[in-house]
Amino acid sequence: MSLRLFTRLLLVSAAFITPVASSHHSFTAQYDADRPVTLTGYLIKMDWRNPHVYFFLEVETEDGDYVEWAFEMGSPIAMERNGWTRNSVSVGDILEVEGSLARDGSNLVNANTVTLADSGRRLFAGSSREESASD
Amino acid sequence: MTEFPYTKKYLATCLLAVTTFPVLAQQPAPRFDDGTVNLGAARGEIGHWNSGVGNLSENFVEMEGAFLVHPEEIDKVAPFQPWALQLVKERLATLGRDDPHPRCMPPGGPRQFHTPWGLEIVHDKGLDRILVMSGGANRSWREIWMDGREHPDLATYTPTFFGHSVGHWEGDTLVVDSVGFNERFWFARRPTGMPHTEQLHLVERISRPDHDTLHYEVTIDDPGAYTRPWTASWDVPWSTFPMAEYFCQDNNLDLEHIVGPGD
Repeated sequence: MSLRLFTRLLLVSAAFITPVASSHHSFTAQYDADRPVTLTGYLIKMDWRNPHVYFFLEVETEDGDYVEWAFEMGSPIAMERNGWTRNSVSVGDILEVEGSLARDGSNLVNANTVTLADSGRRLFAGSSREESASD
Repeated sequence: MTEFPYTKKYLATCLLAVTTFPVLAQQPAPRFDDGTVNLGAARGEIGHWNSGVGNLSENFVEMEGAFLVHPEEIDKVAPFQPWALQLVKERLATLGRDDPHPRCMPPGGPRQFHTPWGLEIVHDKGLDRILVMSGGANRSWREIWMDGREHPDLATYTPTFFGHSVGHWEGDTLVVDSVGFNERFWFARRPTGMPHTEQLHLVERISRPDHDTLHYEVTIDDPGAYTRPWTASWDVPWSTFPMAEYFCQDNNLDLEHIVGPGD
């Protein structure tokens, strides 16, 4: 195991054991925890910005079209304190995301876990749910 | 009779060690040369108060985030007037969707002390004021005047998000009296939805029992919304991280999606 991979694994562990603290809206007013979803797609954009990290995937539909989905995570502050940076993934990476669907029916998901499809490496274990300012 | 193997002196020494060790392990609050407690970072030190904790309730109620596990217990949180009780129930039932905070409004009142992403307390000796600076929300700050001035005439004062604050020291406790609040914010993070009026009057008692603990106590006196003054308190822990930059306004993509439970 290379030192770099070992370091990454440590960071993944840290992401799971370090409680993230707090952001800015009610999770339940925006997402439905009873509507879990798993989606896989190509990363087309990463917004590493406050108040929440957003990233966007092109997801292939059953009839071969591609649809854009948005995914919300915690604040960059929480991500960076857990060892991640805006360069931890790259445009074109294939990501598998587990999360909760938005209540308004839009193509928006609150991401709980993100996995890099090529390696199975799990990224960004930091949903905004745990850090919601009024949640 | 079997003789007890330990002397009273030995046992007393052990008891003293056990009871005093936790106290000795705590670093004391830093102080300025004049002896005043420093509620912020000492010279050369990096850190801030890791806000994001705290529950604005005068009684214990079981919470899940900003919401009550048993919403019918909301009347235990504070002595609501009937209209205020009805309003907080509506705000809870709609899952906090109308909270001004996600619209990047400032965290007025006690909400500043439990809004995520930290706060710094800066003693501005030059102007004889103390600044409470929020790391999170819309990264705003509040002035507490320590120069003996009085509140302005509220008949001509335009109410604000942070109101008008004057403070003084009672021993090592900073006592802050604030009036002049507007009604365009929700003054608590947990529970969400607590109403107030422009008659809101706060008395906050802020102390630092040890280096790593900020004790915050607030008495809420709002004869427009509550039947009597009531008090809540919590401890805010110290963080050795620098307070990071956070602007709610930067990329606030959530607003159109905060719909609540729907019709």
